[in-house]
Amino acid sequence: MIELLKIEWLKIRNYKAFWIFTVLYFFSILGINYTGYYINHLTTESLPGSSMLLGNPYGFPKVWQTVGWMSSWLLYFPGILFIMMLTNEFNFKTHRQNIIDGWSRTEFITVKFVFALLFSVVATFFNVLVALLFGFLTSGNMYTMDGMENIAYIFIQTVAYISFAMFLAVVFRRSGIAIAIFFLFGLIFEWLICAFLNFSMHLSPVGYFLPLQVTDVMLPIPFGNKMIYLNSPAVYILVISSLLYIGGYYFFALRKFKKEDL
Amino acid sequence: MMILSITNLTKNYGRIQALKNVSFDVPKGSVFGILGPNGSGKTTLLGTIMDILKPTSGTYKLFGEESNGYHRRQIGTLLETPNFYHYLSAVQNLEIAAAIKGHGLRDIPRVLDMVNLTQRKDSKFNTYSLGMKQRLAIASCLLGDPEVLVFDEPTNGLDPVGIAEIRELIKKLHHEGKTIIMASHLLDEVEKVCTDVAILKKGHLVVTGNVNEILANEDIVEIGASDMITLHRIVVDMADHTSIKEIGNILQLNYPIGKADMAIINQHCFNKGITLNHLLMRKKSLEAKFFELTNN
Repeated sequence: MIELLKIEWLKIRNYKAFWIFTVLYFFSILGINYTGYYINHLTTESLPGSSMLLGNPYGFPKVWQTVGWMSSWLLYFPGILFIMMLTNEFNFKTHRQNIIDGWSRTEFITVKFVFALLFSVVATFFNVLVALLFGFLTSGNMYTMDGMENIAYIFIQTVAYISFAMFLAVVFRRSGIAIAIFFLFGLIFEWLICAFLNFSMHLSPVGYFLPLQVTDVMLPIPFGNKMIYLNSPAVYILVISSLLYIGGYYFFALRKFKKEDL
Repeated sequence: MMILSITNLTKNYGRIQALKNVSFDVPKGSVFGILGPNGSGKTTLLGTIMDILKPTSGTYKLFGEESNGYHRRQIGTLLETPNFYHYLSAVQNLEIAAAIKGHGLRDIPRVLDMVNLTQRKDSKFNTYSLGMKQRLAIASCLLGDPEVLVFDEPTNGLDPVGIAEIRELIKKLHHEGKTIIMASHLLDEVEKVCTDVAILKKGHLVVTGNVNEILANEDIVEIGASDMITLHRIVVDMADHTSIKEIGNILQLNYPIGKADMAIINQHCFNKGITLNHLLMRKKSLEAKFFELTNN
């Protein structure tokens, strides 16, 4: 696998879009959290009573969840990046050439997913740094280990978004279609389907088990989530479901890639 | 040993049958041409043995074994179009190919030199002309000096000098004892370099075997006279020819190889009172044979 990852590295080392997207993504994680931190700061200054309602989202131990939730809005960035990395191969027909030159189809797909895992480790680590930064900037709270399980949720959610994006890329093969479906589904249709299932059909909590929704419920908005996600299942169930989805994306992407003409 | 053995290979695209029960063997050390008109299944055949396409039925073996990535690494393959990362340079692209094949980077300068791309080795692939892309693809095939090469239309996009260079390269590789499997519709190319051929037509294997046995099995004699009707009548009695065709003001007599004797033909016609105004011996061209075999 190290050999395969080295080759994957050769592909992206000089791929400008990868570095631009990655740097933008990391800056945006810092930026979106600074915005949240600043707005929270302004709110508590002008309405001192608001902290009764909101708590202290950027103080320990809440900061892990807050940073994770804020950053989760940016997961479309790495999603698009990985869609592009896969559809590039289809456009350039290099997926064929890799196989012709001696890779197996399984190796081609597996190394992409493993690379996504590594990317998610780095992204999670950056989220941890940002959380520590704002946690220590917020006065009145002592550092505590509480809430650090959210780091694991951040990691799982990052992997889930990226692997869902890669799954779409393998299914549709064209970046335009895959990106459009990724956005429309994640930002609009999944919410509609979720609301339809949970409220119109009264099937709650079935709607919480939609592919991206399940990770959103696992790492929910840091205040008022009990009202937004009524009857949400226990966290461990959401974690298991998210992992099953990730496994499913890999399994079905691999199966499609192995069975079809390339 | 057989480098490639294909047994009853069939490939359907929906209702279209691209390959129908094709079987043949490629012997070690041969330059094996796979011929056929556009859409006859040449690329489908090569794509299948490289695991890019899944056969509907039938099997194939590489080096006498069930094929896998290990076998493909021993073969330099150019399939259909040069496939490279557009945003990488020639050297960076070859680094990836070499890494997948499990070779070091040492061979890269040599193969770039062989295809005259050394000067442009650091230019990005998307700045290359069609001919340069094709030459880079050939360079990639040569990485690690493989014993077997598969070329699908290797002279695509090349200028006449480039075509001649590739022809020389193939001859040189053949002399080194390498096996070359080459798909082409450029018959002239095939005639100049191939030792064996398989001819495909609409997915059927029409014929396969040694190129001299298949393609040069006839001598053709053209004769003409002012009285064509009498001429036609008198040549029918002559011995040895296999067929007679009238083409405009000329009769074409086909003979098994080495059987046509111009003096006897001339004498025969003269004895029967016909003076020939045209008498010409020609080898059957591959093109003519190809048209005959594929009924075009």
